[in-house]
Amino acid sequence: MCVDDELLSTFLDGELTEPWKTQVAEHLGYCSACRTRLSQLQQLSERLTSVTLTEDEMAASKDRVLAFFETTKFPTATDKVPFLKRRFELKLAPALLSAAAFVVVVVGAFVFFSPNSPHGQEILPGVVAPIDSEHIRQVTDLPKPTLDMFSLEQIIQHLDAMGYAVKLEVKAVTPIE
Amino acid sequence: MEVQSNDERSFRLVYEEVFPILMRVVYHVTNNVDLAEEICQEAFIRFFDKQMSFPSLNDAKYWLIRVSKNLAINHVKRKSRERSMVEKLKQMPTPHANTTDGEKVLMEQETRKQVQEAIEELPEKYRLVIVLKEYSDMDYKQIAQVLNISESNVKVRVYRARKMLESILNQE
Repeated sequence: MCVDDELLSTFLDGELTEPWKTQVAEHLGYCSACRTRLSQLQQLSERLTSVTLTEDEMAASKDRVLAFFETTKFPTATDKVPFLKRRFELKLAPALLSAAAFVVVVVGAFVFFSPNSPHGQEILPGVVAPIDSEHIRQVTDLPKPTLDMFSLEQIIQHLDAMGYAVKLEVKAVTPIE
Repeated sequence: MEVQSNDERSFRLVYEEVFPILMRVVYHVTNNVDLAEEICQEAFIRFFDKQMSFPSLNDAKYWLIRVSKNLAINHVKRKSRERSMVEKLKQMPTPHANTTDGEKVLMEQETRKQVQEAIEELPEKYRLVIVLKEYSDMDYKQIAQVLNISESNVKVRVYRARKMLESILNQE
């Protein structure tokens, strides 16, 4: 009895398990009809694989898709250099700033707090002024600003600064002759 | 080796290994090189953006094949009635464009056209199995995993697809 067609297809794919694999191989050894059938299935499989895309035919697609990822998803090699530069600059900037701040504080201290400096005499008493009710003014006590507190000129200047066009008209006043 | 889909190094490894397989599978399902490229790109974008972790390169490959196969099938279903034969012929790639043997090129084109048309005639469940069998270097077990069917089902479908293809191609 010849081998079932489906078994031959499985045998061709190398997927037939023992003991059937050995049995089919033995049968093929003496049955030319099954060998022919296996050969037909093999030719069909080869015909299919022969028409697939070659590496050359796919090369352009492969490069294009990879290029898409390189430009949109991956940080490129050229981006990495400026990035390192930026990090270097960031590290340097705080160092320079703190050095500059140190110089200002030290020099400032010499200028303002030198015992021979007249500035020191003026500033120091101010600093030690007593904190009492005379020197403290409650912010809440300040009157709320009203229009009466400003002159007409100030109001016009303010409106002018805000970008408004102001047109003044005088009523009930006898014109100057 | 664990594969992190959004890690550049892992991505490049997977891409190098899987892109040709994906291209071939999608091309034989859609019969259109440009479309195959688009679908492969879309599959890899999803792969990257989902930031997934796979226990092995093979698992990443199965995932990519599953996604691109679904994209290809969806596209074929949507567009099958819209595309004319003229467009199909235009979209056929020219095999071995650098060869000077014009007759050989024509023969290859003709064979490719016949085979592609025969594959297109297969019902979807047979088409997918035979395409994966012949163009993805996967065995029955792996195909079963990708398609979420049993191994014996793969075996039967491969055989039936072959019988159908034989019948279609022998008619021509």
